[in-house]
Amino acid sequence: MSTTSTIVMPGERISAIEELAKSKRVILGPGLRRQDDTVVASKAGPLRHKEPSTFWVDNYQRRYIPARGDLVLGIVRSKAGDNYRVDIGAADTASISYLAFEAATKKNRPDLNPGDLIYARVLNASADIEPELVCVNSVGKRGKLGVLAEGFFFKCTLNLGRMLLRENCPVLAALTRELPYEIAVGVNGRIWLKAHSLRETIALANAIVALEQSGCAEIDKICDNLGDFLQA
Amino acid sequence: MPAKSKPRLSRGVLDMKFMQRTKVKVEKEADDEQSRALYSNEINQKMLNSTSNFIVESSYSICAGLIDGRLSFRGMNPELELLMEQELAEKQGRTKPEQPKEVSDQDMAKAYYANKAPTVAGSMGKKFSTKKDFKRKNSGNESGSPHPKKKQQFKKPRSDDD
Repeated sequence: MSTTSTIVMPGERISAIEELAKSKRVILGPGLRRQDDTVVASKAGPLRHKEPSTFWVDNYQRRYIPARGDLVLGIVRSKAGDNYRVDIGAADTASISYLAFEAATKKNRPDLNPGDLIYARVLNASADIEPELVCVNSVGKRGKLGVLAEGFFFKCTLNLGRMLLRENCPVLAALTRELPYEIAVGVNGRIWLKAHSLRETIALANAIVALEQSGCAEIDKICDNLGDFLQA
Repeated sequence: MPAKSKPRLSRGVLDMKFMQRTKVKVEKEADDEQSRALYSNEINQKMLNSTSNFIVESSYSICAGLIDGRLSFRGMNPELELLMEQELAEKQGRTKPEQPKEVSDQDMAKAYYANKAPTVAGSMGKKFSTKKDFKRKNSGNESGSPHPKKKQQFKKPRSDDD
């Protein structure tokens, strides 16, 4: 991923993409809209580009907008008939069927109570209907999804969540040099952490929150000092 | 339209047991036609045959190629770490399918012919060899003489023998 430093504002036409689209296919990510042959930004932030031809706007945001295929952390709010309502930080609560868990049947329901934390995939996301989650993959296996027991949960910006999940992000590797831990990062800006003791867990959470305002370039430098946050 | 000129099956025929699949197909066709007629004044020619170069993808994780957010380090959750390892192995297998060869092609060919090929080549060779070749080979092995034995012929008994 190359980091272009152009900042775009909502309503701004982006002619560079329009030019590129004349010759080949272009993927428009979140924050970009198209009307016929014009491409317009709909969010404010740095315009990102990934080879060969993917563009999106990496804006600062705390409100999650569900998108199909995202992995999110949600809190079970209530049980409504065959579905559970799950809060994923979006405008509407998401729903998850009791059958969307591994080895779940009509007789054998998953043991899910209000307040439980789940790591799930967004199956269905549309502006007009509530998002739908699943906790199994396409072959019915649990994989990495499911209920997260114990640990510590906190919210952050969507940007921080995404930054931690970048393929070559040094943060998580830097943290594990200090402590063994388990983590679940949702692209909806929610993080769940578990270490051997509560003290360690809180220290890790502090270290991650400290990265909140850092840019992509400064990350490496901050990672060297992460040990200090853990001591504090 | 070709659909209109096509002869239609009567309801009586479609209700027969063996026509059920055709019935579903016919119903779907009729449905499609109805909806096409319904929206025909909404859809213009541009919508029908415009080829756009834009693909809209609303997910950050797909656009930016983000990894799965569920991770475990240094044996905190062995089950999860096993999954991570498998995923990594799969990914590496996909990114570089050509692994370095421990034995070069030439060495392989040499070793193959030294070990296995003689038996295979022999059995195939036998198939195409003639009786003459076989005999020559046999005689060569047994006596070691380059010339085949003289064919024994019936000798006429001499008259003074008896």
